[in-house]
Amino acid sequence: MSKLQANISGIIKSSVIDGPGNRMVIFFQECNLNCMYCHNSHTIGLCNLCGTCVDTCPTNSLQIDSKNKRIIHNENTCTRCDECLNVCPENSSPFYKQMSVEDIISEILEVKDFISGITVSGGEVMLHAPFLGLLFQEIKLHYDLKHLSILIDSNGNIEQEEWESLLPLIDGVMLDIKAYSAKTHKQITGYSNEKVLKSIEYLNDKNKLKELRFVLTPNYNNDESELREIARLMKSVSPNVGKTLIKMRNHGIRKEFSFLREANTEEMNFAKNIFVQADIDILEI
Amino acid sequence: MEEIKDRVLQVLTDGNLDYRQKKHHLAYIAESTQDYPVISKEATEALNEKIICDLFEGNAPYRPRYVLPDYAYALKNGVNYLELEPPTNFDEAINFLSILYIQVPSITGYSVYLGNIDTLLLDYVGDLSEEEIYNKLKLFWRFIDRTLPDAFVHINIGPEDNAIARVILRIERELKQVVPNLTLKYDPEITSDELLLEANKTVFEVAKPHIANHKMTTSDFKGEYGVVSCYNSLPVGGGSHTLIRLNLKKITDLHSGNAESFISGTLKKYCEMTLDVIEARSKYLVECVKYYDTDFLAKEGIISLDNFSAMFGFYGLAECVNQLMKRSGKELSYGKDKEANQLAHLILEEMKKIVDARELPYCKGNNGKAFFHAQSGIDIDIEESAGARIPIGSEPDIYTHINTVAPHHHLFNGGISDIFHFDETVKRNPSAIVDIIKGAFKKGMRMFTFNLSNGEFIRITGYLVRRSDLKEFREEGSRYGSALFAANSMDNANVDNRVSKRVISNEQVASKY
Repeated sequence: MSKLQANISGIIKSSVIDGPGNRMVIFFQECNLNCMYCHNSHTIGLCNLCGTCVDTCPTNSLQIDSKNKRIIHNENTCTRCDECLNVCPENSSPFYKQMSVEDIISEILEVKDFISGITVSGGEVMLHAPFLGLLFQEIKLHYDLKHLSILIDSNGNIEQEEWESLLPLIDGVMLDIKAYSAKTHKQITGYSNEKVLKSIEYLNDKNKLKELRFVLTPNYNNDESELREIARLMKSVSPNVGKTLIKMRNHGIRKEFSFLREANTEEMNFAKNIFVQADIDILEI
Repeated sequence: MEEIKDRVLQVLTDGNLDYRQKKHHLAYIAESTQDYPVISKEATEALNEKIICDLFEGNAPYRPRYVLPDYAYALKNGVNYLELEPPTNFDEAINFLSILYIQVPSITGYSVYLGNIDTLLLDYVGDLSEEEIYNKLKLFWRFIDRTLPDAFVHINIGPEDNAIARVILRIERELKQVVPNLTLKYDPEITSDELLLEANKTVFEVAKPHIANHKMTTSDFKGEYGVVSCYNSLPVGGGSHTLIRLNLKKITDLHSGNAESFISGTLKKYCEMTLDVIEARSKYLVECVKYYDTDFLAKEGIISLDNFSAMFGFYGLAECVNQLMKRSGKELSYGKDKEANQLAHLILEEMKKIVDARELPYCKGNNGKAFFHAQSGIDIDIEESAGARIPIGSEPDIYTHINTVAPHHHLFNGGISDIFHFDETVKRNPSAIVDIIKGAFKKGMRMFTFNLSNGEFIRITGYLVRRSDLKEFREEGSRYGSALFAANSMDNANVDNRVSKRVISNEQVASKY
């Protein structure tokens, strides 16, 4: 098996919200967008061993291991106050760890009897496309795992060629569209959306787009023209692609973005109506 | 006599009880004037101290606790006593069963088993359309709920996927009645995934059906089985004379040594004593009351003494194990730590051995032995966890939970239940539950029950209550006998925090008066 490793920020062994059936979800560290409303902002960056968290930890549970270039985390004394996550200047975490394909396979084997499949998520999981390729191949070759479905949860901000080799191995991709206008997209995520739009089109053509989600963020992407463009985009993909309108929730987002406001019922209804008018079957959550 | 008069007056004047409930309680008081079946002085003391609990079955058993009529036999042969000819169509079959249900005795006064209803009725469908079946069954379901208002009244469907089973699930979701309680017999080789999915969607609405591991349960019985009352599996055409349960927490309190001497001494002694009580009560019912010689169900072959046995139950395993661990200087607890789980398993295996070694009279239904049952608790259990359950609030994640309890499920031919709790979000993804149920059965679980947070229905243990009924009951009484029991359970066990709950029955209510 390959020595290739990936930074894994967490594994949830039972999730009912990351695709059909009960699924194991593997979260990868590092993201190539920086969404204002990110609820897991500590999965955006990589640790640069600056030591801010080590100095801040009230129980002295963190230590720099300069030889191996990592943070040692003492789970016995840690109280999970998460102060380390709040102070990290890199939007990173001392908790993520390096795992090999083999490590992840053994985690899946533990719960194989209880799940329909796995979902890989992030961060932005497609930054780890070569690792994913190996992981998925291994699953498809494994006698006890080959029946599991594989879903990718991505922001779509990735070159087309990264998708190509993975598509035969996966069942589908769940993707977000944060805004249709490149300008708005940049305001919300810090980056433009050309690659995202291309990914949507490409995955739809290849019949691998499973779900398309839109997060309604008042004062950013909720004006009528923007919503009509999103509706047009949703209408352009296959009717089999699940469509979801998500209300941005402001719990758990970073302090500097606390000015973000959740949509009220009226705003949600306004957005929903635009999708309904466009004859789109959309789930509101 | 003055004391009896006072108790009677209390029942007569209790505004929270309706006429039938009063009559039931008055009968209990009358029964209490009789001497208890002959048992040792020590066993009497254990009963008085609630070390051994007879679940308020009454002093003088005059009907079996659980009766599972062979409804298929009755439908085929008719019932002379009730002047019922074998039905020839769907309407007649429903009418036939409706009449028969009212006649089946139990401790609560309402039949605990209404049959494997889809199998029973399939023969009478003829050329009825699904809509016609739906309309007829809907009225039947309303009849059941209004005339047998007790959450222990239990009906079974499955394992085959069929139109009636599906219509029943649809009706359940629409009517949202507490009664009847419902079990789906599930076998991955027989039952379709679609039916299991329908069942799960129904659980989201009304917290039922339970899903029973059909393959495992079938292998424990000579003939057909039914799931009745609170997860009790028993032979069809028979049942259980009595259910006596042992309080493992209390006998651990009495024990002064370590785990080893507990298993070889105290546990053995009290298991035998519990079996003594079972034997005495069974004999009283058979020999003194002569129930099986006189009741029309037995006389007409709808039940047979040969299909009866008795049930040995227990509760408070978690507290027993945790205390024994503590005494050996280890802060290890059941559900969390491997060593504690191993001790729990050892205790259960030992109990099973003791129960299986004791030959009991009138227990041919289980080859002369009692059925072993993890009893799911009643409202008075404040300090004890139900059966072999992990204490409420201490449950580990779902996989650990299943992996902890599944290895002992095979021991309980009389039934066991564990309740799993899911967040509301699972409603959008019912196939997730299908995955977990399949996994749980693969690991050897016998019965799967789950609850959603904030559901209108609350599963106290094996039975259900509606949140609104509980609220109303506290204010003005309830049509359902079980609501009182549940209200007590809620008060004693904080059901709103619920992860799993306790059992109920009317007889405990009666003992209060």
